[in-house]
Amino acid sequence: MNGRSARQRILVAMSGGVDSSVAAAMLVDAGHEVIGATMKTFCYGDEEVAVGTRTCCGLDGIQDAKAVADRLGIPHYVFDVEREFTRDVIDDFVSEYSRGRTPNPCVRCNSNTKFRDLFRRGRVLGCDGVASGHYVRIDRDAGETRLLRGLDSAKDQSYFLWGLPSGLLDRLHFPLGALTKAEVRSRAREMGLVTADKPESQEICFVPTGDYRDFLARKLLPIHPALLPGAIVDHRGRVLGRHDGYSGFTVGQRKGIGGGLPEPCYVLEIRPESREVVVGPRHLLEVGGVVVGDLNWLTAAPPPGTPLHVQIRYRSPLQACRIDSCGDDSMRLSFDRPASAVTPGQSAVLFRGDRVVGGGRIRRVTTSSRTTRRIPASAPAAPR
Amino acid sequence: MLPNTPMHHDSQAIYLDHAATTPVRPEVAAAMATCVIEDFGNPSSRHTWGRSARSRLEEARERVAASLGVSAATVHFTRGGTESDNLAVLGRARSVAAATGSAHVVTSSIEHPAVLEAAHQAVREGGTHTVVGFDQGAFDMDALRRVLRERPAVVSCMWVNNETGIVLPIPEIAAECRARGAPLHSDAVQAAGKMPLPAAGIPGDLLTVTGHKICGPKGTGALIVQNRHDLRPLHFGGGQEGGLRPGTEDVAGAVGLAVALELAVAETSTESARLTTLREEIETGLVNSVPGLRVNGRGLPRAPHILSLSIQGADSDTLLAALDTCGIAASGGSACASGSSAMSPSLAVLGFDAASAALRLSFGRLNSRDQVGRIVAAVTSAVERTRALVVS
Repeated sequence: MNGRSARQRILVAMSGGVDSSVAAAMLVDAGHEVIGATMKTFCYGDEEVAVGTRTCCGLDGIQDAKAVADRLGIPHYVFDVEREFTRDVIDDFVSEYSRGRTPNPCVRCNSNTKFRDLFRRGRVLGCDGVASGHYVRIDRDAGETRLLRGLDSAKDQSYFLWGLPSGLLDRLHFPLGALTKAEVRSRAREMGLVTADKPESQEICFVPTGDYRDFLARKLLPIHPALLPGAIVDHRGRVLGRHDGYSGFTVGQRKGIGGGLPEPCYVLEIRPESREVVVGPRHLLEVGGVVVGDLNWLTAAPPPGTPLHVQIRYRSPLQACRIDSCGDDSMRLSFDRPASAVTPGQSAVLFRGDRVVGGGRIRRVTTSSRTTRRIPASAPAAPR
Repeated sequence: MLPNTPMHHDSQAIYLDHAATTPVRPEVAAAMATCVIEDFGNPSSRHTWGRSARSRLEEARERVAASLGVSAATVHFTRGGTESDNLAVLGRARSVAAATGSAHVVTSSIEHPAVLEAAHQAVREGGTHTVVGFDQGAFDMDALRRVLRERPAVVSCMWVNNETGIVLPIPEIAAECRARGAPLHSDAVQAAGKMPLPAAGIPGDLLTVTGHKICGPKGTGALIVQNRHDLRPLHFGGGQEGGLRPGTEDVAGAVGLAVALELAVAETSTESARLTTLREEIETGLVNSVPGLRVNGRGLPRAPHILSLSIQGADSDTLLAALDTCGIAASGGSACASGSSAMSPSLAVLGFDAASAALRLSFGRLNSRDQVGRIVAAVTSAVERTRALVVS
């Protein structure tokens, strides 16, 4: 148990998925006194969800979490955190898109709702800590508490956890950090958990249809600039065509820009003030650095010049970088080699080895490079 | 003060959820055991075993009838309160719709879902549904009088509200309905055996009772059908229970219901006085120790076993979890699994404020006065801890 074997009372965030089910079971096996909790994050009645839709945070999720808790013989409670979740996650999601950025709502939830708000409820129940089914590790052996990448690089979810309140680290448990997904499923089957073969959740929990533009259209006034038509321009300012709302674009995306152009075009920039979507050839996506805001550190803030690695999207590889300058709320970062598809709104997460140092949200790119490099066809991050 | 261990079912735990369900009394369990082991025959069979089961069933019917002051022929055993409510509302609506083409169902605004959803089903089948509301917690008798002119197929008004404990004026409502020839159904699940019923007999035409709220078995109830208003059955089969509830009778369940109701009715005056005192002591203790606490329905006629509270600046989920963790079983409004956090109509008619937590403490045989101090202290502490969470 991450170096702590004393029996504790632990509140486990149970979404009704296989990961959190196994996490709860492992804590029970380890001898802890486990209480399951599912957070009700938004009003399901407001969304037109087809009956039988299985997203991790839906009502089905609550039923599955209850079934698993019953099987494990532990109490299970549902907490309504709709007000906090709306304020910290949904409102932020809408606001970021309306400013031409591409947010990570799962990061916001983990930074606020899933751990801070849940831990506060756990305290009311006399809990010592909070656990979840994230594939990350907590290491308490070195005299301090360190957040480490999950051992299974295919499932590692440390990218989504840079925003954890640092004071909470000592209270967290991530039992799955040393397992692979296949091992987790096989444990779930051995234990006969109903969630063993449940598919991965793929959509943002509060947009179960996957159509986030439709969600934004219902949250914003119809005359919001993000939803109004605008120009598609190239990097020299020439108008190439029209789009029907910049909220539908993400920096680095290729599809949806229209054909008829001499070479493949990618979204380079979104300019909310003029509603322009700037496109250009692939090599113009390459940048030398970024400004990162909303910083959060899980170690002491490293001094400028420290060699680090940064991850700028979920599932994108680590790249070497250095901090040029760092203030209280923002920092400038340069990549050792140019990086592509750096998207404002996504997280930039800093690592030293396996350890999460901290992170923030990409505000803008700083310098661009003309070097042509291999670019992964990028898509917005999958949830967690 | 934080709890050290959850205390489910341990000697310190206090069960305050008797409106959700109750433990079966030993006398009830013993009578049911005899039935399932010895008198197991099918009451429709003509042989010795069948006749013996039939005689147990009819004896149970007579005992239920005697407890309620009605005739045995009016007692129809069902598989519980929901089924009785459905049969009364939808069975009546379908009967009228078959004769006239459309049925009009009238209910109060605070009915149990077993009545409201049956009314919604009648609407889906081409009928109409009128809801009679409340004015400052009092049933709107004028609105009922207006809607009675439209000759409804059935009027359904619960006797005691399950979430708040307020008592509806059933004898007065019955008089209005009788004057207009409209059949009245009353869900008396929280009233029969919980408080004294009119000595003159059951007013109205249709009455729902169930076993498990009065220390009887789950899954057995009865629908009392006093006057000859035609009802369509919801199930089809061998014609048992006068054709209203076909299917081989649950003799043990019927016997369990009969014994439980008989004991509850015999003890009603002493038990309702005891629970009223208990409720008042807890109520007073909490009002004095928890600022911002409101007693829902205070000043209105209330059943002795339900205390409904509004607690400002707290959330219900966390409060109930905190109470459970320290061994107090209570509920938010009702224990029904809807998954909805929408405001309860039963609380809304009493002026419940949406920013408050609803807490229902309901009392019964598992409670005594020596628990009062611990209940008040535990609720006070849980409220304090829960309030610290409120989002500004």
